[in-house]
Amino acid sequence: MLDLLDFRPEIIWNYRELFIRGVYYTFILSVAGVAIGLVIGLFAGMAKLSRRAWLRVPAVVYIEFFRGTPLFVQILLIHFAVLPTLLGKAQSPIVSGIVALAVNSGAYIAEIFRAGIQSIARGQMEAARSLGLSHAQAMRYVILPQALRRMIPPLGNEFLIVLKDSSLLSAIAVPELANAGRIVNGALQRPWEAFLTVLVLYLILSLVLSALIHRLEGRLSAGRSG
Amino acid sequence: MLEKRSAPETHEPAAPLISVRGVSKSFGTNRVLKKIDLDVYPQEVVVIIGPSGSGKSTLLRCLNLLETVDEGEIVVDGVRLTDPKTDVDAVRRELGMVFQHFHLFPHMTVLENLILAPMKVRRRPRDAAVADARELLRKVGLADKEDAYPDALSGGQQQRVAIARALMMKPKAMLFDEPTSALDPEMVKEVLDVMKSLAREGMTMVVVTHEMGFAREVGDRVVFMDQGEIVEVGTPEAIFSRPQNPRTQTFLSKIL
Ligand SMILES: Nc1ncnc2c1ncn2[C@@H]1O[C@H](COP(=O)(O)OP(=O)(O)O)[C@@H](O)[C@H]1O
Ligand SMILES: [Mg+2]
Repeated sequence: MLDLLDFRPEIIWNYRELFIRGVYYTFILSVAGVAIGLVIGLFAGMAKLSRRAWLRVPAVVYIEFFRGTPLFVQILLIHFAVLPTLLGKAQSPIVSGIVALAVNSGAYIAEIFRAGIQSIARGQMEAARSLGLSHAQAMRYVILPQALRRMIPPLGNEFLIVLKDSSLLSAIAVPELANAGRIVNGALQRPWEAFLTVLVLYLILSLVLSALIHRLEGRLSAGRSG
Repeated sequence: MLEKRSAPETHEPAAPLISVRGVSKSFGTNRVLKKIDLDVYPQEVVVIIGPSGSGKSTLLRCLNLLETVDEGEIVVDGVRLTDPKTDVDAVRRELGMVFQHFHLFPHMTVLENLILAPMKVRRRPRDAAVADARELLRKVGLADKEDAYPDALSGGQQQRVAIARALMMKPKAMLFDEPTSALDPEMVKEVLDVMKSLAREGMTMVVVTHEMGFAREVGDRVVFMDQGEIVEVGTPEAIFSRPQNPRTQTFLSKIL
């Protein structure tokens, strides 16, 4: 308790550049991870719904693997094993971090896409096909636009989770927020100033993000009546 | 009373637009269509009646390849649908389909619903598609609704939009699957009126319906289906006034 009563705000100020850099990398890695995850998730989600086993089976294996194992260990495997083996040499922690967040969130986003597509009544696809649209055209113009509206809340939720889970990347020394906290505490042995500051910064990021998602939701549902 | 076109017999020398030969279809162990034979001639209106579950919807859906057939042959305008090499999308755009529950695209305005397929499938320029759409909307009495979203429309209005949307592809024939069954009674007439005017213009139509008045007035032939079979085919007059088969008689006695 004494430590907390002795809280020294000037430490935060002195290390502001470290914290700001942390916010920057946390934000950039999360956005990049989710952006790539969206592309992966779209294809994996549609592949899981395919009638063709050669599309469906790999998608199911991918989704189950990344949803069924800890992100922390996935990060270690990707940084120290997968990327060095695939590309011949170790990648920077930032590259590894983006890859790890992308493939992990891609698995969750795939499930969001699958559920969103399946929530659109079968009659919509049939009506589109009966007009002569191909399966791909029906998906693009009829099914996905409707599914996307329903997917905004769960996608926003996934984005918040990625934002918070990106703190695990401090294990491979990505200069993100949690890493900044560890550096400050390591230098000064001041855990309250170091980690409480980091949490408050995560909270601010989350709240800003929630507000943005909320506005997007509002804008999309304003497009049509009822 | 509608001005009736020539009786179907005079079409006989012409090739049928739709020809169904020995078509069977099962869902699992449930044999839903049993060796169906049916020809539909150009400009003919064929009305299919029968109890619920008799396979009427499945037969229509087979014509549009929304279901695959297990056995038999379907030829539409000279193209064998049952041939695996057939371009499914090419066949579908020649047949307009109207569903019981409309299935308008709820995220698009009425106008967007109409122009989507002509633009994407027929590569029709937007201006031309919009002009077609406005003309058709006028025809179905909804010229003032082009900017409305489907859920702002009544059921009858939605179904008229759905008919206009199908007509946008200039189909060779129109398939209707109980187009008025989901409507409040006061809206049935406005949809049937649109269908009647289509028939009058010579559109080839296959209509599944429980509207016996429509069948009598517009139908060239009435097909009675029961338990996956075509039990009896004849002119409306013959089917409704002198049904030959006991199953037809039983069905009609229940609904008339
Ligand atoms: N997709 C389907 N899967 C399984 N059974 C079906 C399917 N569609 C229809 N059936 C069955 O096929 C039979 C005929 O259905 P349907 O063609 O819809 O009849 P109708 O339109 O005359 O009422 C019914 O027993 C129905 O349960
Ligand atoms: Mg039916």
